[in-house]
Amino acid sequence: MKKKKWLPMLSLMFVFALFLTACGSSSSQESSGEAETEEKEEKKTLRVVTDAAYAPMEYQDKGEVVGFDIDFVKAVAKEAGYEVKVDHVGWDPIFVEIEGERADLAVSSITINDERKQSYDFSVPYFQSTNKILTPEGSDIKSAEDLKGKKVAVQNGTTGQAAMDALLGKNHKDIKKFEDNNLAIMEMESGGAAAVVADNVVVEEYAKNNPDKKLTVIEDADFDSEFYGLLFPKGSDLPEEFNKAINSILDDGTYTEIYKKWFGTEPNIDVLKEQQ
Amino acid sequence: MDFRFDIIAEYTPFLVKGTLLTIGLSIAGILIGTVLGLLIGLGKLVNNKLAAFPFNLYITFFRGTPLFVQILLVHFGVVPLFMGETNAIIAAIIALSLNAAAYIAEIFRAGIQSIDRGQMEAARSLGMNQRQAMRYVILPQAFKRMIPPLGNEFIVLIKESSLAAVITAPEIMYWGRAMAGQYYKVWEPYLTAALIYLILTISLSFLLNRLERRLNTG
Repeated sequence: MKKKKWLPMLSLMFVFALFLTACGSSSSQESSGEAETEEKEEKKTLRVVTDAAYAPMEYQDKGEVVGFDIDFVKAVAKEAGYEVKVDHVGWDPIFVEIEGERADLAVSSITINDERKQSYDFSVPYFQSTNKILTPEGSDIKSAEDLKGKKVAVQNGTTGQAAMDALLGKNHKDIKKFEDNNLAIMEMESGGAAAVVADNVVVEEYAKNNPDKKLTVIEDADFDSEFYGLLFPKGSDLPEEFNKAINSILDDGTYTEIYKKWFGTEPNIDVLKEQQ
Repeated sequence: MDFRFDIIAEYTPFLVKGTLLTIGLSIAGILIGTVLGLLIGLGKLVNNKLAAFPFNLYITFFRGTPLFVQILLVHFGVVPLFMGETNAIIAAIIALSLNAAAYIAEIFRAGIQSIDRGQMEAARSLGMNQRQAMRYVILPQAFKRMIPPLGNEFIVLIKESSLAAVITAPEIMYWGRAMAGQYYKVWEPYLTAALIYLILTISLSFLLNRLERRLNTG
């Protein structure tokens, strides 16, 4: 009796697995087809995906996705002659949407690196960022080296995690990977981690918004600068148009205006230009 | 779409560790949840409304709020309160046990109430007191009826332990997410995780089926 029951169950599992893969590929084909016809009809609205949990770069304000990246992508798209519709989809789904060409581009503080370039196309860099260490005031952590032997909270899949992987070893037990930086910071405040490593804008914004929590932001020269780019599906013809548009808003002051609005300081446009 | 088995191979040691932790979390949740659930279920059956009130409140809260929220509350609120720092594994065990206890309490209550009133009356007229009747007549019959819904709850518990990934308890989904985060691949980690969970739940339902059959014939 028992043995017979296993066979249908196993075959059911296989059918399920097949169904899943079939679903995945067919739906992406369908929708990419749809996107193409849509483009032909009116070459106007692009679907932009983002992970809106990264204030002030991109976050949700009363249900609306806002932030530096959002203002930036809107300005660039306007310059290039497109309208954009920004959807908050979460971090992992960004790559699924772009890989399946269900979205035209992504803006989400995505660092340009060689690993990602293998699977996706990037625009020219539009933002410079460094990782910084956030730690409670009076902590004995003064540099990245001091993080060894301590628990460090990061956001899963970010360059903060990559920096810690490089420092402590990949998948080291002292690295706690959270869904987003808010949870990582909360973990530190609850005493579960000695520090959080994340992009400077996030860390500084958090420390600025929570002066009562007595936090220090530590810079370490060992952390390299990173550059954010717009992410496109491999082989997309949009990057060329967008690169032109990015350069013209860098030159005409629109970029500086947006940067000042969100960060209150002057951007270093020369560094961005050097990277091109 | 190229499916990369090499990254699954790379993460196998982590997934094995994750699977062991998932099993551990589930067993702890089942054991603690069952003991707590029995007590709460019996508490709810007390005739005195005032005495039953806290048990009702407990069930209302833990059944009425998402486990996801409970895990976050326990992790960031309850555990640091007692230990001074967070501990993901302890928080996961507490949240899973407390949540399961609410459902198990209802299963016990329903099981006991499903036994015909006449059984208790018959036992009492044979000269047994309330306790004896409960112990020798009602509970043995009720227990048999509770096995299928209890098994159901245990399977739910295994699956819901995956929510502990959000507080970085290094179980299956945590490593699945780490894999996705590193390679920007989603099918490899999540299909692998689905397969592991399936194996776990199928094994458990196999054991439960055997137990049910044994109690039926025995």
